[in-house]
This record gives sequence, C-alpha cells and structure tokens, in this order.
Amino acid sequence: MIRKIVLSLLIAALIIASIPLSLEACPACKNLDDPIARGFNWSVLFMMAMPFAVFGVIGGSVFYTYRRAYKE
Amino acid sequence: MVQREMEIAENRPFSNAKLGVIILLGAETMLFAGLIGAFLVYRMGNATWPPLSHADIQLPRLVTGINTGYLIISGITMYLSLRMIQIDLPKLFSNVLLILTGTLGLVFLIIQGSEWVQLIGKGLTLQSGVYGATFYVLIGCHAVHVFGAVIWLTIVIGMSLAGRFTSDNHTAVETCTIYWIYVVALWPILYFLVYFA
Repeated sequence: MIRKIVLSLLIAALIIASIPLSLEACPACKNLDDPIARGFNWSVLFMMAMPFAVFGVIGGSVFYTYRRAYKE
Repeated sequence: MVQREMEIAENRPFSNAKLGVIILLGAETMLFAGLIGAFLVYRMGNATWPPLSHADIQLPRLVTGINTGYLIISGITMYLSLRMIQIDLPKLFSNVLLILTGTLGLVFLIIQGSEWVQLIGKGLTLQSGVYGATFYVLIGCHAVHVFGAVIWLTIVIGMSLAGRFTSDNHTAVETCTIYWIYVVALWPILYFLVYFA
C-alpha cells in the first residue's frame, strides 16, 4: 500500500516537473505590460461584455413588460 | 379568425415595432462597442493623449458640454411629448414639444458641424493620424445617428400635426422616442470618453 502511494507521488512529481512553465509556452505573454497590449486586453473585455449586456437588456425589458402587463 | 389574430396583436404588451427598434438598438450598441473598443486600444496604447503630433490641438470641451445639455433637454422634451399623448392631453402641447425636440436636435448638429469646421482649420483631419481618425469616426457616427433621428422625428411631427396619434394609437411616437433617448443617452458616454480621456 505504502509502495503504491510513494510510486503514485513519484509519477505525479515527474509529470509536474516535465510540464513547461505556462509563461514560456505563451508566445504573446512576454508583452503583457506593453501599453498597446493592455489596450487590446481592455478592448477585448469590453467587447466581450457587450453581447451579454445587449441580450440582457432586450430580454429583461421584454420580460419586465410582459410581467407588468399580466399583473395588470 | 383574422379578427381574433388582430385582437391578440393589439393586446400584446410589447408591439412588434417596439421590439424591432430595440433589436436595432442592440445592433447599434455593437457598432458603437466596436468603435469604442478601437478607441480604447489607441488611447491606452499612447502614453500621452492627444499624441505629441497633435499636442497643440484643444478639443472645445465647454461648447460641447453646453451642446450636451441641449441634447439632454431634447431627450426630456421628447419623453414629455410621448407622455402627453399617452395621457390624452391637448395635442397642442405634444406638438410644441415635438417641434422643440427636433429644433434642439438640429441646434446640436449645427454646433457640432461648426466645431468640426474649426478643428479641420486647425489641422485635425481624418487623415492626420490616429487621434483625428478616432475622433471623427466616433463623433461622426453619432452625428449621423442624430441626423437620422431628426429625419425620423420630422416624419413623426408631420403625422402628429395631421392628428394621427391618440392615447391608444401612438406606436410611431413611442418607437421614435426610444431611438431618440438612446441617441441622447449615448452622447455623454462618447463626450467624456473622447473629450476627457
């Protein structure tokens, strides 16, 4: 039982040691502090939020209008 | 059968026209989100804004601020005219408010146009760099929307003067009000973003 646990831990340690660092694997990560990269990040986040905002507002207004109408 | 379908359509709390305008505004929001996204990339990518090549150009913040006030007042008058039609007040009030709204929209466009003439005279053009391009595309796109809203409102004013609206039948005013208020609400965001960022 103990042999199995030690063997499992050794295999796990070997796998972890063989995984490259995420930063090295990411070709764009070296420029993260660049102002233009920061601009792109904020721009992407802003535009990703927009569809949710648009569908939320449209869906919310339809839902609210129908609920108010049925209450009346 | 047809009469029954018409009754259902009349009793629907959310008219098709209103839903259509709201979906149109969703598409408009995506358009402006794209333009604002591009502006954010260029703004955050430059340590100084305006860029050094346009350091001598000052955007007319005060005049545009006053112009923003005109546009906000036009949003209020538009909403009030809709309410007056909805509660069946004499048509004179709603007609006067609709005409006042259209006039304020036109005043906004004229002031914006005169600002553009001055800025072009100072050397800020669409081709003069990122600063000019983002300014004219963002502000110009909004101005085109205001112009479209003024044309739409002119048609609505004509219908209102012809006595076509009642408290039960005023979808045209309602949809125009939604569009107008959207255009008005969008402007302060663009104003602070472009003139103060």
